Amino acid sequence: MLDGEFGEACEIAMSVLVKLGEIYGADRMLNVENVHIDGAAYGWINDAGLELVQKLASSGGRFRVPATLNPSSIDFDMWQELKIAPKVAKKQLRLAKALQSMGGTPTWTCAPYQYGAHLRFGQKVGWGESNAVSFANTVIGARTERLGDLADVCAAIAGKYPRIGLYLDENRRGQILFEPNRLDSDAFDSTDYGVLGFLVGSIAKARVPVVSGMPEKATADQLKSFCAAAAVGGSVALCHLCGITPEAKTVTEAFRGSKPEEEINIEAGDFEQTRQKLSTANDVPPEVICIGCPHCSVQELVKIACLVKNEKVEESVRFLVFSSRAAKTLAEEMGAVETIESAGGRVIADTCWNFIPSKARTVMTDSVKMAWTSLSKFTNVTLGSIETCVDVAVGAKPRG
Amino acid sequence: MTSVRNIMIRCVPVSGGVSEGEALVTNQPTCLYDSLDPKSGRIVNRRHELYGQCVSGRVFFFPYGIGSSTSAATILEASRCKKTPAAIINLETEPIITVGALLAERFYGTIIPIVHRPELDPAEVIRHHSVRVNGDVGLIEVLKHS
Repeated sequence: MLDGEFGEACEIAMSVLVKLGEIYGADRMLNVENVHIDGAAYGWINDAGLELVQKLASSGGRFRVPATLNPSSIDFDMWQELKIAPKVAKKQLRLAKALQSMGGTPTWTCAPYQYGAHLRFGQKVGWGESNAVSFANTVIGARTERLGDLADVCAAIAGKYPRIGLYLDENRRGQILFEPNRLDSDAFDSTDYGVLGFLVGSIAKARVPVVSGMPEKATADQLKSFCAAAAVGGSVALCHLCGITPEAKTVTEAFRGSKPEEEINIEAGDFEQTRQKLSTANDVPPEVICIGCPHCSVQELVKIACLVKNEKVEESVRFLVFSSRAAKTLAEEMGAVETIESAGGRVIADTCWNFIPSKARTVMTDSVKMAWTSLSKFTNVTLGSIETCVDVAVGAKPRG
Repeated sequence: MTSVRNIMIRCVPVSGGVSEGEALVTNQPTCLYDSLDPKSGRIVNRRHELYGQCVSGRVFFFPYGIGSSTSAATILEASRCKKTPAAIINLETEPIITVGALLAERFYGTIIPIVHRPELDPAEVIRHHSVRVNGDVGLIEVLKHS
C-alpha cells in the first residue's frame, strides 16, 4: 500500500497511518472491520478537509471496509427552510458526493451504534466521534481508539490502523474506581446519566474509569448520554461500567487484578454541584430548546411525541429535535414526527445543532454534552431532562 | 543584552521541526475543535480560560486534549488559514492532535513541532517567556535574556 501499488489515495492514507504508528510505538498495523467517519460535515472539516477528501476520492480512493458517516452540515431535505447558507450547502453536497463515491454509508448520524453500524464484542474497528467511540468501547466492548478526523477517512481507505492505545489489552485496564453507591441511580433519567458521566470523565481525565454499582437496567439511550458526557468531561474513550461493559462483569475484572490508583465515592453533593456547573442560566428563559445530542433514537422521538401531544410550543421558543434519517423515518411511520411537528416542534435529520443558524443567546437542552460544548455558539445554557425541556417549551409549570 | 544559560526541558518528540514563540499556557484540558476558531486562531469558547486569546504563532501548552475527534481537522484548517500555533507542548499528546499536524505538513507544508511527556510540568516555567521547541529531538528551551 505504501509504495503506491494500490493507487495514490491508498499511499497517502497508509503513509499517514504508518507515521502515526511510528510516533506512538505501534508494533504493527491491524485490520479494522468497519470505520465511523467523524468528519463528514463541511462545517467541521472546513475547506482544508473538503480539499483533502476530494483529493483522496479523485485519486482513486475507495473504502476497503464498511464506513458509516457522522452528521453533515445540512438536513438534506430541509436545509433551505433552516436558512443554511447556500455556499455551505453546496460544499456539503460536494463533500457528501466525495465520501459516498468512496463507498461511505450515508447514515449522517453521531449515534451510528443505534442505526447503521454493526458492532460486536472484541471486534476491532476504527471510529471517530467521541461519543460513538465511548459507546463502542464501553457498552459493546468493541475495540477502537479515538480516531481523529481524516485519520478515519485514511483508516477506511486502508482498512487499517496502527495497533496502539485501546486496541491493546494493557491499555484497557481500569485505573480509577468510582462508587456512586449513595446516589439514587435507580431513579436516574438520561440527563442524570449524563451528569454522572461528565463527573466521572472530569475526574478520570485521561485514565480509564471503572464505575461500580450502575443499574444493569440502564437503557441504550441512558448509556448513550453517559458515554457522550464522559467523553467531553475528560478524554474518556472507555469506561468500565461493572455489570454492563462485557469485559468488566466485576470490579476485579475491570482492573485486571491490579489495584485502583484512586477510589472516589460520589456523594449527592458532588453530583448536584456538577449539575449546577453545566447550567449557566437557570433564570433566563431559553429562546431555543434542543433535544438530540447525540441523535435521538426512535424511542426518544416517541417519548417526546407523547409528552407534547395536545400541547402547543410557545411562540417565543424554537423547539428542535435532532435525529438520524433512519430513526426519523421509523418515527414517521409511527406518527411520532407528525405529533411533535403539529405541536410546533421540528424534527431535524442528518445534522447537528451546531450547524443551525441562530441568533438565540440562551439555549436549553437535555444533553450534558451539548450543555458543556455549546458556549462557543450560545451565551447561556440551561440543562434539564427531556420532560423539563418539553414543559418549558409548552409553557407548563415544571412537573414534580 | 546578553543571554544567560537557557532552561532546558527534555520531552518526547511527536512531530518534527524547530520553532519559537511566546508561550501561551493553560492547565485546562482542551478540545481544539470547540475552543479554537481555525480561521482567526482565537479561543472562542467561553468555557475556556484562554477565551479571546490567539494561539497563532504562540507556543501553546495545554495538558492534553479532550472531547471531539474533529480537532485534527481544526489543525488542518488553521494550517490552511496560516493560523497555527508555532509549536504545541502537552503532557500527553493524543493521536488526534498528531494526525492534524501530520496532515498539515503533508498537504500545506506547515511545520508544527509537537513534544510531550516533559520531564517536569513546564506550565509555570515557560509562562510569560519566549520558548523554542525542538520537535526533532524533543526539547523545550526557555529563552531568557538578562
